Amino acid sequence: MTAIGAFLRGVGLIVSLELKQRVRGVAWYVILGVFFGLVAVVTVGVWVVTGTWGGSGGGLFSSVVYFVLLLASLISPALSGNAINGEREGGTLATIQVTTITTGQIVIGKWLAAWVASLALLVVTVPFLAIAVGIGEVSAATVVSSLAVLAAELGVLAALGVGLSGVIRKPLFSVVVTYLTVAALSIGTLIAFAIAGTVTQVQVTQTTVDFDYSTTTDEGTIAECAPPTTTTYSVPRFDLYWGVLVANPYVVVADASYGDFTRDGQPNDLFGYIAYGVRQAQVAPETERFDDYCHLAPGEYFGQDQPTPEEVLRSGVPSWFIGLSIQAVLAAAALFAAWRLTRTPSGRLAKGSRIA
Amino acid sequence: MSPGGHVTEFEPVGLVADDVRRSFGDVHAVRSVSFEARPGSITALIGPNGSGKTTLLLMLATLLRPDAGRILIGGVDPVAEPMRVRPIIGWMPDSLGSWANLTVRSALETTHRMYGHDKAAARQRAGELIETVGLEALADRPTRVLSRGQKQKLSLARALANDPSVLLLDEPASGLDPVARVELRELLLGLAARGRTVLISSHVLAELDEVATDAVYLDRGTTASTEAVARARAAARPWRIKAIDGFGLGPALERIGVDSSRIATDSQGITVTMADDADAAAVLTALVAAGLRVTWFAPAVGELERTLLDLAKGDPE
Repeated sequence: MTAIGAFLRGVGLIVSLELKQRVRGVAWYVILGVFFGLVAVVTVGVWVVTGTWGGSGGGLFSSVVYFVLLLASLISPALSGNAINGEREGGTLATIQVTTITTGQIVIGKWLAAWVASLALLVVTVPFLAIAVGIGEVSAATVVSSLAVLAAELGVLAALGVGLSGVIRKPLFSVVVTYLTVAALSIGTLIAFAIAGTVTQVQVTQTTVDFDYSTTTDEGTIAECAPPTTTTYSVPRFDLYWGVLVANPYVVVADASYGDFTRDGQPNDLFGYIAYGVRQAQVAPETERFDDYCHLAPGEYFGQDQPTPEEVLRSGVPSWFIGLSIQAVLAAAALFAAWRLTRTPSGRLAKGSRIA
Repeated sequence: MSPGGHVTEFEPVGLVADDVRRSFGDVHAVRSVSFEARPGSITALIGPNGSGKTTLLLMLATLLRPDAGRILIGGVDPVAEPMRVRPIIGWMPDSLGSWANLTVRSALETTHRMYGHDKAAARQRAGELIETVGLEALADRPTRVLSRGQKQKLSLARALANDPSVLLLDEPASGLDPVARVELRELLLGLAARGRTVLISSHVLAELDEVATDAVYLDRGTTASTEAVARARAAARPWRIKAIDGFGLGPALERIGVDSSRIATDSQGITVTMADDADAAAVLTALVAAGLRVTWFAPAVGELERTLLDLAKGDPE
């Protein structure tokens, strides 16, 4: 038996113990059932408004993917946030530690088990994802990238929970800290982005050339242009802070998975809209603007040379792998810290903590 | 270790602790513990609550690192090489944790497999263990339905999973009914007879009296010295005497010349302080010679309890 084989066998044993002991139970099947019902409701809801997305399945598909991510953010911390300290409180962790199972096998096994459990949420939604693909206009690339990145995000959530459960002694406290960490990534990044962008304003000088309406002829055409007028106003500098959004799980999924557009370059799904929003934030506002409404050639209309969302997305800086890397580093650090603090024979112990 | 099977070859493994210390912050749980447990012996770890018994067992079980001192189990240091020590020790904690959703059988199978054994071997070993501790009727029930005593049995079976050479038992008899206690005693005697090293902590001293071949006295984290134990053992102690003609006992004792200061009366009858075993034998011979029909003649308290109490009494603090 090779060393790696033996290691993996031990990990497998912990995964199966964890799934039997902590996850598999009536309550878990009830959660999955309720989740299935909720996604069904969302599916019907999106179907009703599907007309706005031009009869494409992209809207439904992306909604279901985000719904899985949302629910996993709500369930995973409760499930994984007490994996190690809960077992210690239950008095069974030490009985594993006196066997030849290593601390690494315990930590990795518990992480994989928590990941597998949250992937069950994704599996439950497969019928709805299939319906969305069946409606059409969801490319294979979008399916693969969004589901792969979603699965990776679920792994990050599971790792944060298991890691913190090995670092913090009290199960309740570690569950709360896991929730706060997930919230910091999902909502905190948005808040930080909005606040930082808003407090950093820049002056924009706007020069406008408009028609001189006093020269309107009897035929209704305007003969002359008015002299240019200049106004100033301030706009937020979101381009300085778009990096904050990079670590947001929803942004990571979107940024990796936009790719389906309508014929006129509009996003086909939520991924496209969110990714477009982030890429727009990358663009620094022009401080000198010149708008000429008067000297338009026949057939032109104002704003036609604006880039479409598709063009913006093709030209912006992709960021999902940076975001995923930041999250992976966080997750790995949490797991490593848990390993360090759970190792036996233990040296220093937190005050009031016990081993068995 | 052969792949798939449990330990087939048995090698006697002793245990040595030399000036082992461990504190938690400013609480000195174990100040200085030195003792030796030989293969084939049952060593009682005796001390009041808070004397450091559990902390000491955690260090012996490779879970806790001593601040100073040295432990050797079969010549191996459990701090430096825990993975070499773990397969040969079995530890029964004083807490009653069990995987609530697993059945007794699958909990034991899982524990056995954690030592690297395959499924088939684990299934067989779990069956043996269930039989050993007498949990056959509950083998396929989830462990959460077990009573306190039944959980103790499961915990004992778990400690025995890898057929360890050194068995570390923390209060194994608490929660057990009298029948189970007798069974536990016989199990431990059997293990010792097969060369296992057994270390058992308990505060039910009468019970340890019947199985222990050696004793380690622990008080406020320190083991009593051999001299202190010898001195305490040599101290005079009361013996209880009963006779068929109960009212004749007092006068008979006076007649054979036992000083009245040595005689005490309590609710259960009469006790006489004896200097040592020879003294006791002389008194018994004289009583019988005087025609008294003696039915009971034994130390009023157990050997371990008396030594513990005398040690506590002899403490200068």
